Amino acid sequence: MAPTTGHSAALDFAQPEPVDLSSGKYVKLWQGPQHPGITGNMSLELTLDGDTIIECKTHVGYLHRGFEKLMEQRSFIQNFTVVCRIAVPEPAFNEYLYAAALEAISGVESPVRAQWLRTLNLEMMRLASFLMWIGGQGGAFGQYTVANWTLTYRDYVLDLFEEMTGARIYHMYMVPGGVRAGLPAGFEQRILELMDNTDKLLDQIERVMYNNVVFKARAKGLGIIPPEMVDPYGVVGPNARGSGFTRDLRKDEPYLVYDQLDFDVISGSAGDAYERAYLRLQETRQSVNLIRQCIAGAPADGPFQADMPNMLHWKVPAGETYVKAECTRGEYGYYMVTDGTEIVRRVHVRGPSYTHAIAVMERIAVGTNIADIAGLMVSLHTYPPEIER
Amino acid sequence: MMSELLDRLVRDFAVTDITERPPAITTLKVSKENGERLIRELRDREGFTHLAFVACTDWIEDGLFRLIYMLHNYDSKQNLGVHIDIDRDNAEMTSIHTLWAQAWTYQRELREMYGINFPGSPRLEEDFCLEGWDDMPPMRRDFDTVKYSTERFGHREGRVSLEPRDHMQVQLYPTRGGDK
Amino acid sequence: MSLKDLLSPFYVWQRAFEKPYTSIRPIQERPGAAAYRGFHINISEQCIGCGTCHAICQNDAIDMVRVETFEGRNGDSGLRPRFDYGRCCWCALCVDMCPAGSLRMSNEYTWITSDPTEYHFTAGVEHTTWQENPLGYRRAEGYHLYPPKRIEMDMLAADKSVQSFDEVVTGYSEEQARLEADRCIECGICVATCPAHMDVPDYIRSIRDGDYEQGLQLMYRTNPFPATCGRICTRRCESVCPVGIQGEPIAIRWLKRFIVDQVAPQDYARILADQTGDSGRRIAVIGAGPGGLSAAYYLRKQGHAVTVFEAQETAGGMLRYGVPSYRLPDADLDKDINYIVSLGVDIRYNTRIGKDIGFDTLLQDFDAVFLSTGLSVPSSMRIHGEDHPRVLSGLQVLADVASGRDPGVGRKVAVIGGGNVAMDASRVSRRFGADVTILYRRRIADMPADDEEIHESQEEGCRIVTQAIPVEIIAADNPQQVSIKWGEAEMVQDPKGGRPRPVLQEDRMHVETYDCIISAIGQGSDLDFLTKEVQNQLAIEWGKFTPGEYQHTLLEKIFVGGDVANRVADAISAIEDGHHAARGIDRFLNPDAYSQNDQKVN
Repeated sequence: MAPTTGHSAALDFAQPEPVDLSSGKYVKLWQGPQHPGITGNMSLELTLDGDTIIECKTHVGYLHRGFEKLMEQRSFIQNFTVVCRIAVPEPAFNEYLYAAALEAISGVESPVRAQWLRTLNLEMMRLASFLMWIGGQGGAFGQYTVANWTLTYRDYVLDLFEEMTGARIYHMYMVPGGVRAGLPAGFEQRILELMDNTDKLLDQIERVMYNNVVFKARAKGLGIIPPEMVDPYGVVGPNARGSGFTRDLRKDEPYLVYDQLDFDVISGSAGDAYERAYLRLQETRQSVNLIRQCIAGAPADGPFQADMPNMLHWKVPAGETYVKAECTRGEYGYYMVTDGTEIVRRVHVRGPSYTHAIAVMERIAVGTNIADIAGLMVSLHTYPPEIER
Repeated sequence: MMSELLDRLVRDFAVTDITERPPAITTLKVSKENGERLIRELRDREGFTHLAFVACTDWIEDGLFRLIYMLHNYDSKQNLGVHIDIDRDNAEMTSIHTLWAQAWTYQRELREMYGINFPGSPRLEEDFCLEGWDDMPPMRRDFDTVKYSTERFGHREGRVSLEPRDHMQVQLYPTRGGDK
Repeated sequence: MSLKDLLSPFYVWQRAFEKPYTSIRPIQERPGAAAYRGFHINISEQCIGCGTCHAICQNDAIDMVRVETFEGRNGDSGLRPRFDYGRCCWCALCVDMCPAGSLRMSNEYTWITSDPTEYHFTAGVEHTTWQENPLGYRRAEGYHLYPPKRIEMDMLAADKSVQSFDEVVTGYSEEQARLEADRCIECGICVATCPAHMDVPDYIRSIRDGDYEQGLQLMYRTNPFPATCGRICTRRCESVCPVGIQGEPIAIRWLKRFIVDQVAPQDYARILADQTGDSGRRIAVIGAGPGGLSAAYYLRKQGHAVTVFEAQETAGGMLRYGVPSYRLPDADLDKDINYIVSLGVDIRYNTRIGKDIGFDTLLQDFDAVFLSTGLSVPSSMRIHGEDHPRVLSGLQVLADVASGRDPGVGRKVAVIGGGNVAMDASRVSRRFGADVTILYRRRIADMPADDEEIHESQEEGCRIVTQAIPVEIIAADNPQQVSIKWGEAEMVQDPKGGRPRPVLQEDRMHVETYDCIISAIGQGSDLDFLTKEVQNQLAIEWGKFTPGEYQHTLLEKIFVGGDVANRVADAISAIEDGHHAARGIDRFLNPDAYSQNDQKVN
């Protein structure tokens, strides 16, 4: 049974009382900002009682590049090259949502083929991101072998991105109105081959990492997000699904061609790090499956870009929209305001890490052992650039 | 169902400017005074339990900041954007940090990036992204990024670019063209 | 804790012998994917230096620089893009946007040097190892950053158009014009090629902005005949429009026409707000064609009094008497002329210099004279029998029609020639119900007429016989008819590499009889009003003046322009001649008003 949604009056958002550091009883420790595992450059200011965390404060800003401000100084097409940089491991969601927001405001509909190719691209992105995450979660608990495997396979996915889009990380593929190109010759065969190998890899990872007695011992019971915390803390994605919610934007508010794909929302119940990790492994498998469906479903011919005006001086009509997509970490969204000029009025990028890495992290870190904090950070799957934008 | 709700919001909270926006958003406007009360009502009674984000648009020419609170109802799958216009020169808004745990972070960001005050919001004065910032809140539209960076950072030496059209005039028809 | 869980980590050995992903450089090379966005390649011979790459670059990584190997010329600024790899983000928007298709990317991505300032190069000009690389990113077929296809212009169907003198081209609607204006990439390459150097990108932008008054102001900076040029300009600008390289050029002429059509003639004075002072100087202009009236317009703006002497009874010159109203309606020509006249230009109609007033008198009475008498004498075919009364001149046929007279061409007409006059004489004859055969010495591709005139005359049912050389005109049995003997020609390559020459085939002769034969093989000047002495001083070659800078001749008071003084002989060149002569006359009259570097000092 799904847990009840809504807000419990008992949940207390009050900030903790300041700790009396002069008592000599406590130690202050900084986790980060040097890249603490796979979570990017952010830092946790931890106050320890022995080896138990009694207070956690998140600090961000180490990757602040002012993208939202930058976008207010660039033309619409120029921003297309900017947005992918907002989440390094998952640029594609930014590309898609930026394009989708512009299309919503200007009333452009991308061709069917472009929608399939976009979906394929997004699922490849999800796969690459989850592979990296699995490695990060393994690494945080000392399992570097798995990290080597998954990063290798992520690179194989990046190879395919390189073929499909011309770049490994910043693909700049989903241009407003469609995509930049169709699939190169032989791509389908190569990606299906990789998907078969990835299935095998994921089975091995399940055996080596998820069944591993050490991993189980460390991840189970760690960082529990109780269901009543989910809505008040804005928890989304696998972090919410791990606590029993069957929420997935791909199903709930389908976009692109997700309503034509066959998949079920995966959810767990324990709400701890292990549950989330296992859920992500299953979603990785699901992604592999969706990629196969996209390859089978994507039309081989036809236009992949809508008729667009001249991008050099495109004046998007005045409007406002909020578009969202299910990224690996949940609801990723672009809020856009245009004022009829050649420059966007406002873009606000909504990333799940904004709350996962700050409000949620600061709460569930309390009571955790210092040795587990890296694993916990990875378990929430946060990417600081989307906080700082 | 949505229209019933909206009718009630017009009656009880005097909301205006109800607009449907593609792909699936409804936005409405409410006064600064009714804002917090409306959002609380939507959260507690109307199922809008999810706060997707709080953001601000600077309408400098109108002298106002437009705050937007993006709410979502997971059961009805409705998206509702609440607009609240506040005075740009005396930018202040009621804090909603008691409604959602992530709200104070947004308010801290809005404080830093736009200079908006949210009395009572925790850790409001703490640096968010900008450590040691010494200029006006940078997301305000009158903050000139090019000027800021030109004053602080150098440019590569020896770079010059010519405008093809002007260059051709100088080269090919120096005594002709308009204004000659 | 189960035993299985304890043992599971040891399964890692399963992958112990898997091939690693990493490669050892420089022993193992790993080329980028076939469409990788690596270092830039520019085919510099194909590049036209339009600067669109520079304009789209959000990182300001591209400069347009001068390079030794390329000079500015028609359709090429001579500049080439220089890349600063300290700023490039390899988005390839420059490649996508490149209208010439010269810019692309290689799949090379390693460049190792200890000097960071080296990452700065002019692609395709400085040597790089990747310039010849066949792989790398290209813009995909079917993907565009601007619409490559032009908005179609609506026209009267040929079966309708041939029945009246109504304008064939109907003009863009506002929506069509905005869409077409949107395609402009604002590079400004066309400005150099336009003889008048009109501010093309700027007035096109005014259409996008919906500000037609500003558009009109911009056009009058360089051209007081926009309604006319918006219809019949030879539009060399479009032939160099970069958008035309991989698509169709911007319909610059139709956009110009659209702006003028949006503004009512009674609003011109308010919009243009032209100031006309009184300098106390008097200028005589001979010929009220586009050249003469353009000079008059700019001279009036400089405050000089202008008197125009026109031999005909109305103004417009060849625009009036040589261009039929289905291409240029009188009302539109009058829109241009009336505004010029409204600035206080005095036109003396039916006044022929040399007959009604002596040229010497002008030289005495005026401070300067601008001569733009045009080409009014039909060229001779130089064949026997040419003086037959049923051999008409194309110019005369067109002039008759312009004056509202029936040219009397009959039911079966042969037109000799391949220029616009030949096409128009043919189309006019069709409108008078004649069957028309056009005989031309060379091939259709060699015809000097506009492509669309050739196309439209064919659409309207004119038959074109190419490689047909007239040999003799023979009187027919019926005095109302005339026969022509013509021979087929073979095109023979010129051994010196010039254009192929038609050679008459004596064994393939034809004799055909027509109601009339219209000769339209060109026209020459009539300079008889000048004394031999003056003619000798004015440097005349082949019946044309060869003016110096600012259209000045060797005689200090005399400036010349228009068809009689340039080789291209089109309206827009005449307009620029007039404008340039006005610049020259002002400098001649007020040398002190100009500084050393030729700028006006106020």
